[in-house]
Amino acid sequence: MSFPKDLLYSRDHTWAGIDGDIATVGITDYAQDKLDEILSIELFPVDSPIEQGEPFGIIESLKVTTELISPVSGYIISVNEDLADDVGILNSDPYDTGWMITVEVRDLEEMDHLLDAEAYADYIDEVEVTDSEEVDPLLDEEEDVDYMDESEEVS
Amino acid sequence: MDTWRIIPFEQYDPFENIAIDEAIFRAGREREMPPTLRFYGWKRPAVSLGYFQDAEKEINCGYCRDRGIDIVRRPTGGRAVLHGDDLTYSLVAGEDNPHFSSDIVETYRIISGCIIRGLEKSGVVAKMVKEGRPGSGSAGAFCFAAAYKNELLANGKKICGSAQVRAKGMFLQHGSLLMDFDPVAVCAAITTKNAAMEVEKIKASVTSIRENAGDDIGIDTLCRNIAAGFEEVLNIRLIEGGVSPEEETIRDSLLESKYLSDRWNMKGRGTKSGH
Repeated sequence: MSFPKDLLYSRDHTWAGIDGDIATVGITDYAQDKLDEILSIELFPVDSPIEQGEPFGIIESLKVTTELISPVSGYIISVNEDLADDVGILNSDPYDTGWMITVEVRDLEEMDHLLDAEAYADYIDEVEVTDSEEVDPLLDEEEDVDYMDESEEVS
Repeated sequence: MDTWRIIPFEQYDPFENIAIDEAIFRAGREREMPPTLRFYGWKRPAVSLGYFQDAEKEINCGYCRDRGIDIVRRPTGGRAVLHGDDLTYSLVAGEDNPHFSSDIVETYRIISGCIIRGLEKSGVVAKMVKEGRPGSGSAGAFCFAAAYKNELLANGKKICGSAQVRAKGMFLQHGSLLMDFDPVAVCAAITTKNAAMEVEKIKASVTSIRENAGDDIGIDTLCRNIAAGFEEVLNIRLIEGGVSPEEETIRDSLLESKYLSDRWNMKGRGTKSGH
């Protein structure tokens, strides 16, 4: 799992690449991995005001829809239109061609609330440890089963 | 032992059902609430759509209109469900609740474990899907045509379809258990091509509670057993409660702004991308 050093990260698993007062925003490698196969995305349109810690869109993967939480405040100045043709690039290339929006940032001091790559990696480790401690051991007794044979596939 | 709220089974109008689920979810986002397990039925038949589904392309809107089947769009993803002869559950909790996990698949697994225990008490042997895969073709718009990891099968056929939404540290998962299953009605309402061709395929992949537990089992018994499944597996206590005044206010506002509007139910706000 990669977390490029030139980006900043939110605890909501979005990243911001800062160039002057313009931020490029997307989801992290960790987020795309946890979401699994991403199926659909809806982003706020250009000119929408957004706030740090508040949604800028919604994303659907195989079995969950979840809000996309902005790492920065400001106005959306562009939206990645390529996602409408191939939303799968969010899984395959979340930091480059899978960018989501660019934002004219209102307050660069807000970047202090974000994490650098190393701190984000540590945060992920904490989340993973907490999850593994919280899972109820009773459920390990449950038996898993493979889905139906290929011949029974609905087509 | 943790105590949760349980809202006992009641039948509601289709729009109200989904509005109540979202109201509980939203109220929980604003202030700390114990998890809520809710059971409900449908006063009128309805098709519920996944958040991103295209109503005109993915279901038979004309058929639904002609037969008075309401169409309601859920806040959760996934595919369409024909409601009427089903028991629907919803569960709202914080992602950081110690019984669950921030991992989505793991949360499905935990909830499925509770439902398996409840089904077992009802005479239904259900197991989790280890590696699922989506359905395809026209019937692919139908929730029960696909089974995903940690969803439930009985005798190799899907018996419970669930979907989840997450926002602001909370999750809402709701799902449907078919008491009886009418593949002809499902195919007529949900498929848009040659429904007759899909019926046999759907029959081979979907099952119902009564097909497994016999005709005598009622919804009240099933609710009681599933609630007991949650209590036993998670070592919690469920305390009966109702929808709070705050949740009622949010429900009413959601009905007005979303769920009673054709625009929301038919068009949504989303645009399907990619797949």
